[in-house]
Amino acid sequence: MKTIIEPFRIKSIEPIRMTTREQREIVLREAGFNLFLVRATDVIIDLLTDSGTGAMSSEQWAGIMRGDESYAGAVSFYRFQERMRKLTGFEHILPTHQGRASERILFELVGGAGKVVPNNTHFDTTRANIEHSGAVAVDLPIAEAADPTCLHPFKGNMDVAALERLIDDVGRERIPLVMVTVTNNSGGGQPVSLENLRAVRAVCDRHGLPFFLDACRFAENAYLIKRREPGQAGRSVREIVLEMFGLADGATISAKKDGLANIGGLLLLRDEALLHRASNLLILTEGFITYGGLAGRDLEAMAQGFEEVIHEDYLAYRIRSVDYVGERLAAAGIPIMQPPGGHAIYIDAAALCPGIPRDQFPGQAVVCGLYRVGGVRSVEIGSVMFGKPAASGLVHGAKGLPPRLELVRLAMPRRVYTQSHMDYVVEACCELGASREKLRGLRMVHEPPVLRHFTARFEEV
Amino acid sequence: MLRRSWAEPFKIKVVEQLRMTTRAERERAIVEAGHNTFLLRSEDVYIDLLTDSGTSAMSDRQWAGMMLGDEAYAGSANFYHLESAVREFYGYKHVIPTHQGRGAEHILSRSCIKPGDFVPGNMYFTTTRVHQELAGGQFVDVIIDQAHDPGSDLAFKGNVDLDKLSRLIDRVGAARIPYLALHATVNMAGGQPISMANAREVSVLCRRHGIKVFLDATRAVENCYFIKTREPAYADKSLAEILRELCSYTDGCTMSGKKDCLVNIGGFLAVNDDDLADAARNMVVIYEGLHTYGGLAGRDMEAMAIGIHESVKYEHMHARIGQVQYLGEIIEREGVPIVRPIGGHGIFLNALEFLPNIPRDQFPAQALAAALYVDSGVRAMERGAVSAGRDPETGKNKFPPLELVRLTIPRRVYTQAHMDVTAESVVALYQQRAGIVGLKFTYEPRHLRFFQARFAPVEGDKVLRSQALP
Repeated sequence: MKTIIEPFRIKSIEPIRMTTREQREIVLREAGFNLFLVRATDVIIDLLTDSGTGAMSSEQWAGIMRGDESYAGAVSFYRFQERMRKLTGFEHILPTHQGRASERILFELVGGAGKVVPNNTHFDTTRANIEHSGAVAVDLPIAEAADPTCLHPFKGNMDVAALERLIDDVGRERIPLVMVTVTNNSGGGQPVSLENLRAVRAVCDRHGLPFFLDACRFAENAYLIKRREPGQAGRSVREIVLEMFGLADGATISAKKDGLANIGGLLLLRDEALLHRASNLLILTEGFITYGGLAGRDLEAMAQGFEEVIHEDYLAYRIRSVDYVGERLAAAGIPIMQPPGGHAIYIDAAALCPGIPRDQFPGQAVVCGLYRVGGVRSVEIGSVMFGKPAASGLVHGAKGLPPRLELVRLAMPRRVYTQSHMDYVVEACCELGASREKLRGLRMVHEPPVLRHFTARFEEV
Repeated sequence: MLRRSWAEPFKIKVVEQLRMTTRAERERAIVEAGHNTFLLRSEDVYIDLLTDSGTSAMSDRQWAGMMLGDEAYAGSANFYHLESAVREFYGYKHVIPTHQGRGAEHILSRSCIKPGDFVPGNMYFTTTRVHQELAGGQFVDVIIDQAHDPGSDLAFKGNVDLDKLSRLIDRVGAARIPYLALHATVNMAGGQPISMANAREVSVLCRRHGIKVFLDATRAVENCYFIKTREPAYADKSLAEILRELCSYTDGCTMSGKKDCLVNIGGFLAVNDDDLADAARNMVVIYEGLHTYGGLAGRDMEAMAIGIHESVKYEHMHARIGQVQYLGEIIEREGVPIVRPIGGHGIFLNALEFLPNIPRDQFPAQALAAALYVDSGVRAMERGAVSAGRDPETGKNKFPPLELVRLTIPRRVYTQAHMDVTAESVVALYQQRAGIVGLKFTYEPRHLRFFQARFAPVEGDKVLRSQALP
């Protein structure tokens, strides 16, 4: 059989409220042309994020019912800890309410003024947490990552030579750790090869630097390693996952992605001294070490979700369904980031709307267009998300920082939408593509000081 | 006097099995846990009275709400439901969800406190004070003196001492007091309530000086039940009306939904001030999650919204507080020293009187909690010197006037028979109290040490000897 089907059937459904184009026009204006400010009930297909939006399995829901809500020492925690130890090989597992809390704790401990943290590409909350601590976040993707049409199999790789140069330039003592994000979300959901992870590990060893993973989508990355990396086809995803984590000294994970959970996160550490400090901070800001600010039932859902996500039938279906959308959009002439990533399709908005200058946010214009056309909610990953007020002197494209792509991400929630939903999305994209010259740029009229994309407001130019 | 029954206004729909343990198993477990009940595994615990936080049983409606979770990252329908419930019952304008209460405290402290500021409050709470200190502020206790006297029978032992507050304002100036933290009820004082009259007077004094008042609303509905039953002018008002009035004397609140709101996870920060709400929303997105989910699953916001509706029902609160009173009255009848009057969420054993022969630097409350577990598998919590920590300047142990063991009652979880077993164990332990041995630290964390500290008996290897020493 050639067709790859979902390795599950549907047990519980959530009705979708349909809207008309006129209704959406009003909604869009009320939300200041920022889809983060639109109510979920006004969205038909929600591709804003794959984070926390997955459908849990019946086994996970059974875990939800089994949750031990004891404040300390809950059975659910020990079950979660044991599963995570087996999956990652890490001894020390701290639960957090979600990924950004893991990042905050880590960078409050190792960040600070004068510090420099390299990554293949930092994600928005990671960057915000590093900068909030006073440190500088540096992106070191390989050159191929900047070319949306390049078909490199591991476009998420870190530029190892650039990492060496950075260490020489700023000195190893200013670098608290080297981080690699798998898969590379801001870079188009592109995977990182084992070979690259090993090379980064070797550089870290040479300079005595700790190596951390931002491992939100570790299973999708491992599956793409199995499919694309020479010599890996015969290994199980579980083995590859173990090797990936085995290379690292620590990891932050949002369980809302490959944990197949709606809430939850983890911080994995090897260093005992750092673990003690992290535990104290965890208790102060998240919750006690055996619940980390989560309900016991959420620990159960995570324990089960992290088990289900490495099933290869699931990963085959997951990656194939994203590819399917990518293939159809490419065939229809919509410029997308190639090859399609693990969790999302990234439309190249600059190529789609060459008439809209970057300071009028072409990505945001496409996001608004897609919502108008079909009630599809996507997210801009470009100048709105990563740009900074000119006054801060940190405008992207300035000295030392690579120019960013203007992307629109269609993130696929896990196990939620069917092929006919995806066909609808493709149609909406095609309709938008056909009328692209009608798209208008935007001007930001309200700009929050941090993570501005979440609450900024716009007007059409 | 015969009291009217407090029978539960619900029946049981789902149960959770308990594991029985032997005394030998418990003796091993408490050693493995370093004589710290926080470090016990819950499967080794019979009746878990460690905390009433997040341990409640949800109703079938709340579970139905769990199935209605809208897990959209932005603009979840559950957020709007929660927002309207908070607006309706608490009356604040802006609602910012957080993953739990300490998330809200963290954001409030960071938004309002500058280094060198003073934050008065009616008694400290552990996590609250650490957040205030980390933001550069200094906590100042302005609770009435009687709150520190376990024997005082005052109806509203949680009240703010207005003279103490005035003196603080005179001494440091209103400009260095960003807000007053008003706890209702006061956890560390034994779950003691504040009166409406006191809240009103605090509000008048603070507003005159331009000082904001933030309510720690964690157990505010329980406080309202005491106002209704003890403050004559409120006897005929509904809990919902009383709650609205109490909140109207404040500028906002931090909330751990894991108590009054009857959920296992969740909290919120609610404020009236537009600018503060803006600042808090910018911060919540870094620390917690986007301001329409605040680090919570959609389903948990829905459960909290429904829980708020259930929490202000008189029958619910009558049964809740009635059960606590029931346990307290049995224990007290047998002569065991407890904090008077009985509070809203737990019974607080007075360890200083219970164990007068154990010196304070051997942590009598910690020893009592460990011994109670060994005796019957009941898990309680120390609220005394271990919880108070060390003075940041001198590095010495703080010895607060109260050295207590808290038996906290989860909401809607345990039956009358469970309460009877608990009372029997406390009474039995009181009769063999000479067999309880003091403790010393073997590991002491820097912040909030009570959570993870480890101890050993000062002599021998058992915290509860089967036979008292001659």
